[in-house]
Amino acid sequence: MVVYNFKKISAVPTAGDMVDIVLTRTQRKTPTVVHPGYKISRIRSFYMRKVKFTQQTIQERLGGIVEDFPRLNDIHPFYADLMNILYDRDHYKLALGQINTAKGLIDALARDYIRLLKYGDSLYRCKQLKRAALGRMCTIIKRQKAAFAYLEEVRKHLSRLPALDPHTRTLLVTGYPNVGKSSFMNKVTRANVDVQPYAFTTKSLFVGHMDHRYLRWQVIDTPGILDHPLEQRNTIEMQSVTALAHLQCAVLYFIDISEQCGFTVAQQVGLFKSIKPLFANKQLVIVVNKVDQQPFETLDPSKKAMVEELGKSSNCELMTMSNVTEEGVMDVKSRACDKLLQARVDQRVVGKKVNDVMNRLQVFQPQARDGEAREPYIPESVVKAKARGEIGSKDHKPKMGRGGYAVTKDDVTGDDDVDMVSGEKRKTERDIMWEMGGPGVYSMDYRKNYLLNNDDYKFDVIPEIMDGKNIADFVDPDIELKLAALEEEEDARIAEKEAAGMGEESESDLDSDEEAAVSAIREKKAILRQRKQDNRKNTAVMPRSVRGRKKDKHDKPMLDKRNVKKTLEGLGVEADGIVERGRERGRKRSRKDGEGEDGMDVEQVDTSGMSNKELKRHKREEKSKERRSVSVARSHSKVREPSQQGLRDDDMKRVATKKDMLSKRRFEGMSGEGDQRKTVHLVKWMNTGKKRNGTHNKR
Amino acid sequence: MESWESWKQIWRWSGFLKELKDDVLNCLKRENGYKIYALAAIGGSENFYSVLEAELADHIPVIHTSIGGVRLVGNLTVGNRRGLLVPSTTTDQELQHLRNSLPDGVVIQRVEERLSALGNCVSCNDHVALVHTDLDRETEDIIADVLGVEVFRQTVAGNALVGSYCKFTNQGGMVHPRTSMEDIEELSSLLQVPLVAGTINRGSDVLGGGLIVNDWCAFTGMDTTSTEINVVESIFKLQDQGADTIVNDMRASLIDQLS
Repeated sequence: MVVYNFKKISAVPTAGDMVDIVLTRTQRKTPTVVHPGYKISRIRSFYMRKVKFTQQTIQERLGGIVEDFPRLNDIHPFYADLMNILYDRDHYKLALGQINTAKGLIDALARDYIRLLKYGDSLYRCKQLKRAALGRMCTIIKRQKAAFAYLEEVRKHLSRLPALDPHTRTLLVTGYPNVGKSSFMNKVTRANVDVQPYAFTTKSLFVGHMDHRYLRWQVIDTPGILDHPLEQRNTIEMQSVTALAHLQCAVLYFIDISEQCGFTVAQQVGLFKSIKPLFANKQLVIVVNKVDQQPFETLDPSKKAMVEELGKSSNCELMTMSNVTEEGVMDVKSRACDKLLQARVDQRVVGKKVNDVMNRLQVFQPQARDGEAREPYIPESVVKAKARGEIGSKDHKPKMGRGGYAVTKDDVTGDDDVDMVSGEKRKTERDIMWEMGGPGVYSMDYRKNYLLNNDDYKFDVIPEIMDGKNIADFVDPDIELKLAALEEEEDARIAEKEAAGMGEESESDLDSDEEAAVSAIREKKAILRQRKQDNRKNTAVMPRSVRGRKKDKHDKPMLDKRNVKKTLEGLGVEADGIVERGRERGRKRSRKDGEGEDGMDVEQVDTSGMSNKELKRHKREEKSKERRSVSVARSHSKVREPSQQGLRDDDMKRVATKKDMLSKRRFEGMSGEGDQRKTVHLVKWMNTGKKRNGTHNKR
Repeated sequence: MESWESWKQIWRWSGFLKELKDDVLNCLKRENGYKIYALAAIGGSENFYSVLEAELADHIPVIHTSIGGVRLVGNLTVGNRRGLLVPSTTTDQELQHLRNSLPDGVVIQRVEERLSALGNCVSCNDHVALVHTDLDRETEDIIADVLGVEVFRQTVAGNALVGSYCKFTNQGGMVHPRTSMEDIEELSSLLQVPLVAGTINRGSDVLGGGLIVNDWCAFTGMDTTSTEINVVESIFKLQDQGADTIVNDMRASLIDQLS
């Protein structure tokens, strides 16, 4: 079945926008660089592509518009007529036709220009041809300005039309303005139509839906109609007439007997008579409305007779109703629905279609094939619950609402979910899940519902099956007994051994305390040795001569005299001798060592009787003399002649020296090789000359 | 491979693992246990499982399980109040879990059967079972013994996957909407329950995928229309109303909707 949905029509741009869209698209999607030096065939194809592409874009856009809008001949006559009333069929067709023609024109134009472009002999001429082609296409589009604007308006209105299905079960409400049609609609559906106490509140068709007898029904609220010839009816009224004329539906004709709507009963009866042809082949119910204001029984007899006569003559029933007191509203609804349904069913039954579904309308009762009784099985608890009305009654609510959603405050506080009869709500896994952190976080322990002899067995840590094997298969039933026997044997052996070693004495003369200390020491030594061995890495060993020396100024020499001494003394060892020995070994190269003792004569000066000052000076001299005697003169390489350096003369030498220095001066003022910064220089031509307004010309 | 064929069909029809959307029941969980237990799949959130739990757990155990690591519990297993048959793919661990969770009166049996989707191939109540026409003879014997039923090889509307296209309890049953009236009559006499043809999940003919039902309650997919629910309620006698409702009250609505 065709579903009418006019909401999907894409928006129609204005003519100006359309031109922009097309041209920018061409600019964006085709190459833009061409040179006069290119081969002429390349230049031609460059411009031909542009023309062709523009034509294709326009084709697409205009074609889209023509396709999107419904064709009046193809859609349901109700919609075709409605569109005729609202948008004027001729105008609509003309607009679409014009767009279509424009499309054709542009196609032909593009074809012509592409042909011309084949004869373009220079870039300039090709370009002019392209310009002409695009310009003319745009002109054609711009000429359709009115059509574009009209179609956009139509589209907007069309998308707001109610999505009513002309084929489904429909109730249609009609009558004079202000007789309570929209109020009835609001009573039976949730359409929430605007209701106001003046005529023509409803200016267009409204659709609402309701459920009746397991089916979905649509209710159409129409604008009120006045009693005058068809030619004089306005657009608003014509919509009602169209709906009445084309839809297969049950019609509810509303009569306001209180005459509060401003029309007399006689007028309303008159209207009924004049639009009666429209009710042919429809299920009709005449609804006498506003009985709260004017009960039908106490109506003026002449009017009453008029209305009753109306029902009789048109062979339909009269129903009284009031929207205010809601009296009769549901009766009217169900009566109309049933009438329509009956008619539809009768229609179907006459046709062949119903035979296809006969198997679904019939319950096939079994024929007993033996005497066996095949009873249903319903647990006791269920029977009890049914008796309490928790299960199997029409008003039973599911215990869990809104499956699949997070628990909200309503779920917690609302009493919808609470089982009122048994007084408490079952705490489901879902509740626990949300308490414990929600889906993905919580996972249920499936063991908790096990039905076992003893509840302690449920969470047994020993798995029943491990690595694909049943553990029970490997359990030796006598294992406990065997273990007990083994333990017994072990005890016996220990006792035996103790008894055997009772008389002997240990050989060591240490008492038990000392023995413990010794064993502790040994143990610790073993541990230390082991640790050292573990720490040994596969690296070269430092030579003894270097080991412990100071490496740089931050490093404290490990074998420094003071350090050694401090460490040793900390351990309680007399350190002086060791340090001295170390020093002697370390000092090797000195004259004193070699010849000082016997080689040189050390002048002995009598220091007695010297003043303090003299003594000091003497000491200094002594020291320096001693130092000098040990010092060795620094070696110098000999300064050679330039000729011997491979240089001709001093000039050449100077040049070479300079070059050498320059070569050594690397990256001066830069942070390194990668420093590519160019600093700003004062450029003379930019900074000289007059600088008054307008005279300074930046090149 | 036949079993693969049957799998593929079910995947296609049921929108494999479209879980917790429209046709929830379609894919993952079909209640197997008729009367005294229900199986639900492992994994995902507890939201779905708890729907079953809230309604059923007061009366029958509801068990989380997988079968051979697969969550489609309903497609793979078949059972009634006397027993539960699981396919050969079931692991020992799962078997042990089921044994621990089920009451002692329910027998569990692993079946060495080529058509491993037992739920699709077998449909049963406490007294009668319909089975796939190609099922092994040994399997047939096992079904008869374990489930305590009479076994009939039958097709439903030309489909051998009886588990998917028909659903019946001890009180009534529903078959594929295209089953001919003669066939339904014959099936009804075989099964000894009233039958009707119908759909679930807004016109889906895969009844097994959209409906879980036992003698006192039913679960249907989210898409199921009110007409369909009413047919289910009346044919399975869930609301203390006779199956005649379909004939009397609902006739007009059904005709109008179906044709």
